[in-house]
Amino acid sequence: MDVEKTRENVSNRLLVSLGLHSAAIIAFQLSLMQLISIVQWHHFAYMIISIAMLGFGASGTLLALARKKTMKHSHWLVPLLMMLSGVLMMVVFPLSRAGFLRFDVFLLFSGGGGWLALLMNYLVFFLPFFFGALAIGIIFIRQSSQIGSLYFSNLIGSGAGGLLVLLLMSAVFPLRVPAFIGLLSILSGLLLSDRRIIRWALPAGISGLLLTVYLFFAPGLLQLSEYKSLEMALHLPEATVTQTTPSVYGLVQVVHSPAQRFAPAVSFSYTDEIPGGKVIFVNGDFFGHILEPAENPLEHILNYTTQQLPFVLSDPERVLCINAGTGVAVSHALANGAGKIDAVIENRAVVSLLKNELKQASGGVFQEPGVEVHALQARNFLAGESRWDYDLIVLPLLDGFGGTSGLNALREEYSYTLESFQLMLQRLSPKGMIAVSTWLDYPPRTSLKIPATLVEAALGSGIEAPLRHIAAIRSWGTLTFILKKEPLNETEIGAIRHFCDEMFFDPLLLPGLRPEERQQYNLTDDPQYFDRLDRIMAGDSRALEDYGFTIAPSTDNKPYFSQFLRLGSLRHMAGIFGDEQMPFLELGYLTLIITLAQSALLALILIVVPLFALKKSRYKKSATLVYFGALGLGYMFAEIILIQRFVLYFGQPVFAVATVISTMMLFSGVGSRLSQKLEAGPCNIRNIAFLAAGLLLLFAFVLTPLLQASIALGNASKIAISLLSIGIPAFVMGMLFPLGVRFLDRHDPEQIPWAWGINGCLSVISTSLATLLAVESGFQAVIIIAALAYLLAAMAFSFSSKIFRKNSVS
Amino acid sequence: MSRKFLYLLVLGSLVLLLASQTGSDPYEANRQQMVNEQIRARGIDHYPTLEAMERVPRHRFVPREQQRFAYFDRPLPIGYGQTISQPYIVAYMTQIIDPKPHHKVLEIGTGSGYQAAILAEIVDHVYTIEIVPELGRSASRLLNELYDNVSVKIADGYHGWEEAGPFDAIVVTAAAGTIPPPLIEQLKEGGKMIIPVGSPYLTQQLMLVEKRSRRYTTRSLMPVRFVPFRRSE
Repeated sequence: MDVEKTRENVSNRLLVSLGLHSAAIIAFQLSLMQLISIVQWHHFAYMIISIAMLGFGASGTLLALARKKTMKHSHWLVPLLMMLSGVLMMVVFPLSRAGFLRFDVFLLFSGGGGWLALLMNYLVFFLPFFFGALAIGIIFIRQSSQIGSLYFSNLIGSGAGGLLVLLLMSAVFPLRVPAFIGLLSILSGLLLSDRRIIRWALPAGISGLLLTVYLFFAPGLLQLSEYKSLEMALHLPEATVTQTTPSVYGLVQVVHSPAQRFAPAVSFSYTDEIPGGKVIFVNGDFFGHILEPAENPLEHILNYTTQQLPFVLSDPERVLCINAGTGVAVSHALANGAGKIDAVIENRAVVSLLKNELKQASGGVFQEPGVEVHALQARNFLAGESRWDYDLIVLPLLDGFGGTSGLNALREEYSYTLESFQLMLQRLSPKGMIAVSTWLDYPPRTSLKIPATLVEAALGSGIEAPLRHIAAIRSWGTLTFILKKEPLNETEIGAIRHFCDEMFFDPLLLPGLRPEERQQYNLTDDPQYFDRLDRIMAGDSRALEDYGFTIAPSTDNKPYFSQFLRLGSLRHMAGIFGDEQMPFLELGYLTLIITLAQSALLALILIVVPLFALKKSRYKKSATLVYFGALGLGYMFAEIILIQRFVLYFGQPVFAVATVISTMMLFSGVGSRLSQKLEAGPCNIRNIAFLAAGLLLLFAFVLTPLLQASIALGNASKIAISLLSIGIPAFVMGMLFPLGVRFLDRHDPEQIPWAWGINGCLSVISTSLATLLAVESGFQAVIIIAALAYLLAAMAFSFSSKIFRKNSVS
Repeated sequence: MSRKFLYLLVLGSLVLLLASQTGSDPYEANRQQMVNEQIRARGIDHYPTLEAMERVPRHRFVPREQQRFAYFDRPLPIGYGQTISQPYIVAYMTQIIDPKPHHKVLEIGTGSGYQAAILAEIVDHVYTIEIVPELGRSASRLLNELYDNVSVKIADGYHGWEEAGPFDAIVVTAAAGTIPPPLIEQLKEGGKMIIPVGSPYLTQQLMLVEKRSRRYTTRSLMPVRFVPFRRSE
């Protein structure tokens, strides 16, 4: 089909094809993230995907170097690339787990090798994105005068792809998902096939369909790393997977084995049998034990752990169990006489399992009289839906046994911020208390951050002497802290001491505690922990500042409770622990740095290489670089921050992510479409860029208070607020890329592929850079930087337009 | 002396020299270096432990493809999500329980069998339990070949080895969040139990459990993943 003669027809078919293909690419990206997270770990999935997504940048580089040739053959190249991309989407993941391509992330960091396999994996995953982005890039360049409509289709398709993959994840086994997604790209290629190429395109399309059917019925096996919790559990005697449920929260699997026992750091005084049973895993990672009901309903295994502490002090009637997981805390509260329990759990798939298929195994804990389950985040529950003041608010056992080595460093944990604890204190009855427990970690991090948070929350809530309101006890494996609204009295202090003696635990924090009481049963060779703890409890701020790890309380602006690494003291800590230790102390954060470094390096190469092919003056190229780079960075920064803010707002991460991404794509797409009607002149572009910068700057100061004030409203109101607050800036931001491309189309079309590549590269770098900045400086800083990026784009364009006008005059 | 006799003498010496080379351990020098640089230099001074580390052929306890790393200063994968511990940790755990020639020791988590082999060099008898059948069988074959004072059982270590107890020491090589009550029961009065807290590839801390007069104490020892922890701050 000839492009010039049939522009109108191609345009409609092209739009649909482009939309389908864009949907496939985004859906594949998310699906691949899930698959790699299941077989390896989330952070490493991110590390691998970031390189794969540089396929977009690489496509721009190739198009810049071979623009004429690709345009000449575009009529068959575009459908071929789409179909090729689709086929690769279907096969790259199974390929990556086969033979010499298979690697294990843990072995990489422990000197077990596999670096070559990792590099091969980078290449294998890169290809579908590279070919897919090439197809899009060719379309954009070939008809750059229509970029507004094309970009609209691209954005709408991307948004739809995000929603589609959520739908697929909730219904289809993960290994089957890429087959459906790849088919979309194949169909999009078929749609663009004209009479000249249909004789090979149609058989290729049919083959693709057959491949989809084959992969659906024979998806293969998910081969997890042998070091993943699920894989290790399957080596236990009589271990079987009794349940497999795909969900938007991840692949939920239940493993039964008599050797899977639940008794977290149980006291030596416990002499009964510890029964084994079922464990829930999500994406191959441990989620929680399912506790079978004891014969004696008053007996509970947690009665013999430090988590019994709040029940030693009182008989709470109304209990709130935050992040209640598999309901163990609920059953513990029931066994200790609680009459009304609210259990807050984010993961609806697990809740559904425990209420239905696993009801008998869990003793029907969530259907007990007086127990109500709420499927959302704790903060939203506390802000809006909590029914009454609580006698006890319980948080789950933090960290993993022995520490999780920072694997949760990049996870937003809004339940553990200062604001959260202050809100919890407000929701306590006059005699109420908060209880939070953690596994012991070395070097001490969580075990210092918790008391630091409790002290500051207490002071911020008007409690003048936190030392009289906080108690803590320590076993060989766990610590439990409680913060009471009223000061501890002598009876309570005596009860704690008695409980510790019975259980071979040691009091850690108590009014009037003698130093020797801390190590009666559980000794440590590192007394510096006690010194630092005492300084924190005394309110010495230097105790937080001069420690090698970050132990100051996290806040809503920086809700990374499990992030402990200080970049500034990295060298110092490496000197103490040794260079080889550092990856294993804070793996998550260091993975982020590696991800950023590798993608930045590759992006630099991809951006620099085309310069050799572009023969214009260097001033124009720098303006293009700044403009399109700033757009790529600013848009992604804004998107990431909006996602973080709205996760807290809606309390349902999946819903929040879907809302933000689809709203941004929709409104940006509309903005892009409408930009087609505007003149792509320097004045318009500059003014719109300034407007985008201004809106984001406003957001930096207004958005958080707005969301905080409306968090307790109903869903309909919140959705309306979201649509406005996300939609307006997204609409404006969506105009700038197509306007810039149309400007280049008029003045310097050779730079369009390069601009496309720059935008792609900066989008990839921005994702990890935004996370790093959010962890170090907070969300507000990131959105201010996004605003500055658009400001830079406006200024770059002002400069650029002068160069173009000057050149056109001369 | 005739020329013929001289030729025979030289030939005989060469044959003897060759014979001695084929019987020698190709990793002996590595093993000595390991003991000197990784063990002795880091403060392990329990003589029986040092001797045992010098004698036991660690390279035989790792998969063939890992043998060239056997004497390196790190843990190594042995399959099924398990590892053979870093040499220093094995030596440290052995020294901490202060094994004596008359002792009876229980090990939970045979793994490669290396720790059991070290203990077998020192104590009267080692009882070792492995939950992964493939690993248990492989370790059993090797340990039975090298020692006659090691008993291997493939079972869930939770229940310990009641019929062989009580034990002077219990070495738990696989980190777990629970210390099973049966193991506590099978520890003699005055006995010691050593347990790693943490994952093999991540930061680890060793914990010593002592039982005296039905009173239990634990001691968190310094992290020992790579080197002894020395605070300079």
